[in-house]
Amino acid sequence: MKTSRRSFIKVSAAFGGGLALWLEMPRTILAAGPTAFEPNAYIRITPDNVVQLWITRSEMGQGVRTTLPMMLIEELEADWSQVQYQQALPGGRFKGIRLRTSGSGSTVGTYNALRKAGATAREMLVAAAAQRWNADPSSCRAERGTVVHAATGRKLSYGELAVEAAGQPVPANPALKDRKDFRVIGKPTKRTDGAAIVKGEAIYGIDVRVPGMLYAVLARCPVLGGKLAKFDAGAALAVPGVRRVVPVSRGIATGVAVVADHTWAAIKGREALKVEWDRGPNADFSSDQFLLQMREEIGKEKDGYFVRDDGDATKALQAATQKLEATYEFPFQAHAPLETMNCVADARKDSCEIWAPTQCPEVALAETAKMLGLPEESVKVHITLLGGGFGRRLFADYVPEAVEISSTIGKPVQVLWTRDDDMRYGFFHPSDVEHVVGGLGEQGHPMVWRQRSIGSNLSMFGLPSDERKKDPRLYFNDGSPWGSFDNPYNFPHLKADFIALNSPVPTGPWRAVEYPVTVFARESFLDEMAHAAGEDPLDFRLKLLQPGDVLQVGTSMIDRSRLIRVLEVAAEKADWRRPLRQTSDRRWGRGLGCNVYSEDCFIAQVAEVSVGRQANDIRVHRIVCAVDCGVVVNPNGLEGQAESGITWGLSATLHGKIDFRNGAAVQENFLDFEVIRMPEAPEIETHVVLTEHAPGGFGETAVPPVAPAVANAIFAATGKRVRSLPITPEKLRHLPQV
Amino acid sequence: MPSFTLHLNGKRFPVDADPEMPLLWALRDLLGLTGTKYGCGMGVCGACTVHEDGVAVRSCQIPLSASAGKEYVSIEGLSSDGSHPCQKAWVEEDVSQCGYCQVGMVMQAAAFLRHKPNPSAEEVDAEMSDHICRCGTYQRMRKAILRAASEGRKA
Repeated sequence: MKTSRRSFIKVSAAFGGGLALWLEMPRTILAAGPTAFEPNAYIRITPDNVVQLWITRSEMGQGVRTTLPMMLIEELEADWSQVQYQQALPGGRFKGIRLRTSGSGSTVGTYNALRKAGATAREMLVAAAAQRWNADPSSCRAERGTVVHAATGRKLSYGELAVEAAGQPVPANPALKDRKDFRVIGKPTKRTDGAAIVKGEAIYGIDVRVPGMLYAVLARCPVLGGKLAKFDAGAALAVPGVRRVVPVSRGIATGVAVVADHTWAAIKGREALKVEWDRGPNADFSSDQFLLQMREEIGKEKDGYFVRDDGDATKALQAATQKLEATYEFPFQAHAPLETMNCVADARKDSCEIWAPTQCPEVALAETAKMLGLPEESVKVHITLLGGGFGRRLFADYVPEAVEISSTIGKPVQVLWTRDDDMRYGFFHPSDVEHVVGGLGEQGHPMVWRQRSIGSNLSMFGLPSDERKKDPRLYFNDGSPWGSFDNPYNFPHLKADFIALNSPVPTGPWRAVEYPVTVFARESFLDEMAHAAGEDPLDFRLKLLQPGDVLQVGTSMIDRSRLIRVLEVAAEKADWRRPLRQTSDRRWGRGLGCNVYSEDCFIAQVAEVSVGRQANDIRVHRIVCAVDCGVVVNPNGLEGQAESGITWGLSATLHGKIDFRNGAAVQENFLDFEVIRMPEAPEIETHVVLTEHAPGGFGETAVPPVAPAVANAIFAATGKRVRSLPITPEKLRHLPQV
Repeated sequence: MPSFTLHLNGKRFPVDADPEMPLLWALRDLLGLTGTKYGCGMGVCGACTVHEDGVAVRSCQIPLSASAGKEYVSIEGLSSDGSHPCQKAWVEEDVSQCGYCQVGMVMQAAAFLRHKPNPSAEEVDAEMSDHICRCGTYQRMRKAILRAASEGRKA
């Protein structure tokens, strides 16, 4: 073995700054020299020619267990057949490396790091082979898990080179492959775990079984923010299989846990449990009242926090030849992932182990350690598959619940939220109201735009600090209304502000966060302005994006030419310029919506909709989607996310809402919280505009344009403008004759 | 505790449990077969679908007391190796996203195609309308079912 301990430590030190290299390696191995090649936290190559890759994001359907390995394999030049992957866990090897999965950032946030990690390993493997052959490294090349010396035809597998590669110097700036040489990135690739899923072998949080584990469900105060007053465990304990009944003080909706031998006994025990609640200060809260309050506040003559103030909107509105205004409303929404919240915790005296479907494992770890007074090294968090995330699992509230119960009863326990728990508690998408005023000048020329947002949309981020308020460029990062703040249209006078009005409803990020609200208002109102100006809604938008320049807003750079391009492609593929057929029983229409998600992802959608002449029933037949999010790592995944985001958006457009009455959520299950099912699922066509830009995130991008595209199509079909979601047949009664 | 004999996946399993316990929880918590998923607990999402005498049913709605004399198949018994035409078609069409609902979908489609080997797209839609996929994989799922049907006819 050529590797000396000294050279091995050199490898470690070079990576020591950013990555947690070797920190988990047992000392005995360190003393004896490496038995595997681990150039960084992501990659391990063993002499048996296995390439092990760690996945540094949670898999929740966006395909990271496929996309992330693709980026590593591309630069590493490994062969799929030799690759194994496993989930990266917080702490230890991955201390300091982000595992949080949010903001459509799984590809964006790993693209450079994973490619560099792969390229580093590749160069070290090539160097090891060159050294063995006494050849110039430039005469050797990596190819599908081997290094080849073309001149002599010699070839060594990565496994054969692993130990020597570990002794090679670490390249500071390994050469990344040119895009034209990609053989993995950009190639449609099927999910690595597709077969396991349909065999029922994929393990979600709910499927975790630990020896000696008990099962718990919680009785929770129905009123938001209410508390446990007292309980009588007698009847619950009399249910066969129920072991313990214990109060729970942690989490978003506290109460009493019924702990049993199996889930069914826990559910029966909860039904039998006698509890009295202190209903707290929110027992009169009603979402209808809150909506009225938002409507009232938004009409008041006062300014909110300005997030954008170009030109002089007030003066321009006075000078406008035509002035329009409208108010749009968005209800509270639940995430309702099909796998309800759950967590397994095994809290012991001096350690704790957690198994959770979570988007925020670092938080789960830190909170558990703090709660139990343990060093973080004594807590282990396993990330299972997530049966849907959608932002709900960015909160770890269900983890401390399980930890508290396990700690109380001294046994491992699985806490399961039943569907009604999951629907009625948690962190909802906030209800918001948007007020937009627009002014047209001579010949219907769009001159001025004024958008105001009101709602509890800031409670998840907090208001900007006084310091940051001085610099509006930073507002973006403080969670000002995306979609309003980064309005891409070229109005000479543009003003946008927001007013925070909080309710007792806990709110949090829901797929696409604030865009669904602001973009529903913005793209609907643009349609209204286009009609007022007597212009085609597509032409009106294209005109407002001239001259196709780069708009700088806050810290974002928005390339309007990319938005123009996707609008043109969507319109062309949807036959926008050709009239749509009408039938004797239904009125048909097309509608357009577009958006720029977080400056790096551009999307336009055309919805084709029909409304029954008798029943006013709404059918969305087809949605054509054009997208430019730069380099596409996995086109299969991108199309899947388009289909997914559009269906998500459509559920909220046509069905979804959570009402609160007497301080409690009204909807309890999928009977009263309806979502799109297969017969309602439209034909979705995705067209990718490929560009050379760095990848943009696409997990959420397809959601926001759906509601306005459908609302605009309904207007085109019926002449009726619906400005509140969901759009139900009742809202289409008394249609104008068209 | 009453005892039942569950006929499942071609085997017999003795189960001592509350007669009201839904089959879903017996499968998951007593027999350790976690492939069948909990989604709604009231038979409206389809995640817990299994076969009862060859027909797709919601295991969250079947109390153990009603299971006597019936033959059940859960996903673990659909095929030993993922070779059922629906499982293969699902992989081929790359249907799954989060994947949580897919087992229930596959079970529904498998029972459906046995009775209706040559369905139209509309018939597929109607058959699957009791199921929910929150990720919105319906378009690919529809294609996968039609593909499985077509493969089944070839076989």
